[in-house]
Amino acid sequence: MSSTTTQRTNATGKPIVIGVADMAVSKDPKAELITHALGSCIGVTIYDPTTHVGGMLHFMLPNSKINADKAESNPYMFADIGIPKLFQAAYELGATKENLIVCAAGGAEVLADGGHFKIGSRNRTILRKIFWKNNILLTADDTGGTISRTLHLSLADGTVSVRTKGQGQVLWPI
Amino acid sequence: MANLEDIISDIDSLPALPATAARLASMLMSGESDITEVAEIVRVDEALSMTVLRYANSSMFGRPGREFNLRESIIRLGNATVLKIVMQQQIGQMLRDGGVAFGLERGAMWRGALGGAFAAENLAKEHGFDDPDLCFVCGLLRDIGKLALDIRYGQDYAAKVNACLKDSMTFQDAEREAFGTDHAEVGAALAKHWQLPDRMATVIQYHHTPPADPADHDMLIDLVHAADIICLWAGLAVGYDGLQYHLAPHVKESLSLNRRTAEIEITAMWNRVREIEDAMNGTTHERHVA
Repeated sequence: MSSTTTQRTNATGKPIVIGVADMAVSKDPKAELITHALGSCIGVTIYDPTTHVGGMLHFMLPNSKINADKAESNPYMFADIGIPKLFQAAYELGATKENLIVCAAGGAEVLADGGHFKIGSRNRTILRKIFWKNNILLTADDTGGTISRTLHLSLADGTVSVRTKGQGQVLWPI
Repeated sequence: MANLEDIISDIDSLPALPATAARLASMLMSGESDITEVAEIVRVDEALSMTVLRYANSSMFGRPGREFNLRESIIRLGNATVLKIVMQQQIGQMLRDGGVAFGLERGAMWRGALGGAFAAENLAKEHGFDDPDLCFVCGLLRDIGKLALDIRYGQDYAAKVNACLKDSMTFQDAEREAFGTDHAEVGAALAKHWQLPDRMATVIQYHHTPPADPADHDMLIDLVHAADIICLWAGLAVGYDGLQYHLAPHVKESLSLNRRTAEIEITAMWNRVREIEDAMNGTTHERHVA
């Protein structure tokens, strides 16, 4: 599957739901993007306030080398492929790197797994590594712990909010 | 404080397992199934018959073709696969709206059940467990207790449990503190009410706390326990309980789970869930492309 720009709109006015290992970008200022059940997975939002282009990725694992075949058919499963594709898709819709507000949520851990797996923390590490290598500033994040999170992005004004156990908080604007 | 007896006392309000599923489960698990009898049970359920025919003609089973005879379709699929299809369809209908008590979105509990089923089956095959199909069904059913808690408490359940939850505590322990029981124990009681085999009820009861003691040890429980953790890592059916569960050390050791194998299991499980969702919904994931 060749993956270029993902531009989903929702005529019903309902939020566009980003599933696990999924991504969407839009330049519709009325669009709302949401992803549920971020456990060890991480949700990344990007938003350009000058063009109202925004996007969201829900990746599951840090590195695509674990399964090259699946990485080709489902690139949004992995941070190392999914994050660049998210940014590329937003650039194709007119976003510029300098303007982007970047937020992230998720990366939780199972309560006790003997410290052998750390899937959530490895997801957090690769996220920061990719951003650092590409000179991208993570504007705000809510990561770690053992909780599940729901991440929401409004393209009207770029508000990013995180909902945990029924309680919401605004991540951006700070 | 409520207890198990309170929760299941109003048994008529609990979800009912369709008779087709219960009959086929005990027949196929006992090894006394007869193809004609299985066909007769399936035949009386029109939706189920259509599903069996669709699967028999699906490329998912490596045999695309045009098979319109129900009996031949069952032979083509095999009894164990028919059991999995029955459970998927009939449990699926019950689970799609389930999980309110745990703050799950619609469809999340079903996806978590399916993920647990596939992860358990994959692990069973890789570790030489003699009945991967039984593992699949137990993985599918492991969280049915949440259905009973939905009906009894709705959204109040997680709120009360969270009030008792401390950082180092499992969600299951907090459930016991708040209600005197937990979703695994309630699930086992529901399985018994549905007259499912005792071993299935035991797996459901201990899927978060698999016994390590050789006297009580059952590899089936270990496999379903590991499958549950794989689903948590993948973010399937993660609700207000978050990731507040333990991976049992003896399961990690016996299944040789490490970072690499865990990630392989996660990707394998997730891709099978997507295949099934595509097959059932008639969709593909081409939606990624504008």
